[in-house]
Amino acid sequence: MEPKVEATELQYRSGICGHKPGSIGFGFDDIRGLISTPPPPPPETGSSFTALLELPSPQAVELLVNSPEAADEEFAAKHNIAHFAPPEIYLSNIALIDHASKFSALASADNSTENYSMPTVSCSKKLDVVKQEQMDSDSKPNGSSPAVSDQKLKSSKRKETEKKVKESNKKSKRVVPNEASEDGGEKLPYVHVRARRGQATDGHSLAERARREKINARMKLLQELVPGCNKISGTAMVLDEIINHVQSLQSQVEFLSMKLAAVTPRFDFNPDALLAAESGSPNDSSYPGIFTPSIWPEGQINGNRQQNQQLWHLDGLHQPVWGGEENNSNFITPENSLLSYDTSGNSGAASLRSSR
Amino acid sequence: MTTLIMPSNHNSIKTRFTYRFARSLKKLNKNRPASQSMKETYRRYHMIRVASYASMASAVGPKRAWSRAVLWKIRNRTLHRTLMKKSRIHALRTRKVSGNPNDLRKLVPGGEGMDFSRLLNETAHYIKCLRTQVQIMKNIVDHCSN
Repeated sequence: MEPKVEATELQYRSGICGHKPGSIGFGFDDIRGLISTPPPPPPETGSSFTALLELPSPQAVELLVNSPEAADEEFAAKHNIAHFAPPEIYLSNIALIDHASKFSALASADNSTENYSMPTVSCSKKLDVVKQEQMDSDSKPNGSSPAVSDQKLKSSKRKETEKKVKESNKKSKRVVPNEASEDGGEKLPYVHVRARRGQATDGHSLAERARREKINARMKLLQELVPGCNKISGTAMVLDEIINHVQSLQSQVEFLSMKLAAVTPRFDFNPDALLAAESGSPNDSSYPGIFTPSIWPEGQINGNRQQNQQLWHLDGLHQPVWGGEENNSNFITPENSLLSYDTSGNSGAASLRSSR
Repeated sequence: MTTLIMPSNHNSIKTRFTYRFARSLKKLNKNRPASQSMKETYRRYHMIRVASYASMASAVGPKRAWSRAVLWKIRNRTLHRTLMKKSRIHALRTRKVSGNPNDLRKLVPGGEGMDFSRLLNETAHYIKCLRTQVQIMKNIVDHCSN
């Protein structure tokens, strides 16, 4: 949904920027004048989108663009987006009368394009508040209009079709985030929530649903991490598995450190040789392949590079064998260098790891 | 005999952890005489374990809440050494009980003061780092025990 919104916003911006600022300011004032006068009644003719466009187009387009011929929807579509935009501004203003805050933002819209983005987005969303019954006719404008306006139509159409049974509460919650998120690449302060058919749309339920969706997404990630969790259904069991996994990992660390404590007094510990042996083949081991590109985006520290390069030399790779001590997990005997070990799942499920 | 092989990722957490851990191990072994008493081994075990967690946490850096918590805990550790030991032993004994979100909070360092979704995030990263840690320590042990 967001790319479409951005597309409309970009088109809108390009259209608006093409005009002189003065004319646009003039246009807004006149639009407000239009609003004060009673708006023409919504067309009874089959409730088409084209009728929707034709409605204010004679008045608004004349005011804004000063061109006499913008009466046809197709014509307006063929021309600049600016032809397209004014009716939407007009419609959005009608809808925005209810929302004082947004209206004040619209009123204060100077020549900055940022403010222009807002009415487009809000209007494309508010379109169905005004005309909710005009969904069926969207195929017509989609078929006839060329690509540029088609995109805009499609985006608004999609928004309309998505909100078949919606109340305005949900839209109000969504318009606000879009205002802040329209400036390409800014961080979203809100989570976009879409109320499906038959679901409650008051603020609390929306927030609750957003939170639940976040948690479910992260649980899915964790399920992929922990081996053997894919088959388990239900959050509680998955959480148990995760807890077991973490516990087993921690106990492995302790066991290994105990082993190290037992081993190292005999061994003159040489970190150079150790790191050398680890250089082996980081490419074919599963862990670096999985971890390093995607997971740790930590910044590059150039200081370490020099030292690492000196230390990374092979010092006779050997084939170490893991002695069978008491374990609480299965350690597969490695066949490669040190970094290319393949530990099986700690809960015994080795399928996930060995398949890679 | 010695050939230069460049690892694919110089600054991955793996290499950073390995380097730090190796350094700390070297330091540990330098200071301690090679005595085989159980007590000595036990003490050494504690220090090695702390060193491994510390090197992993510092390799991760302060970006993660759990690494910050680990480093903070270790820094404040010196004040309560005996207390920590006793609580550690107790934790070792009673750790295998399961039962949901509070346990996860106790397991993941720094997990007490987080909301659940953030806790899940930290858990994911923590699991990845723990796996790396285990893998490298295994490598070291195998390398040393040849």
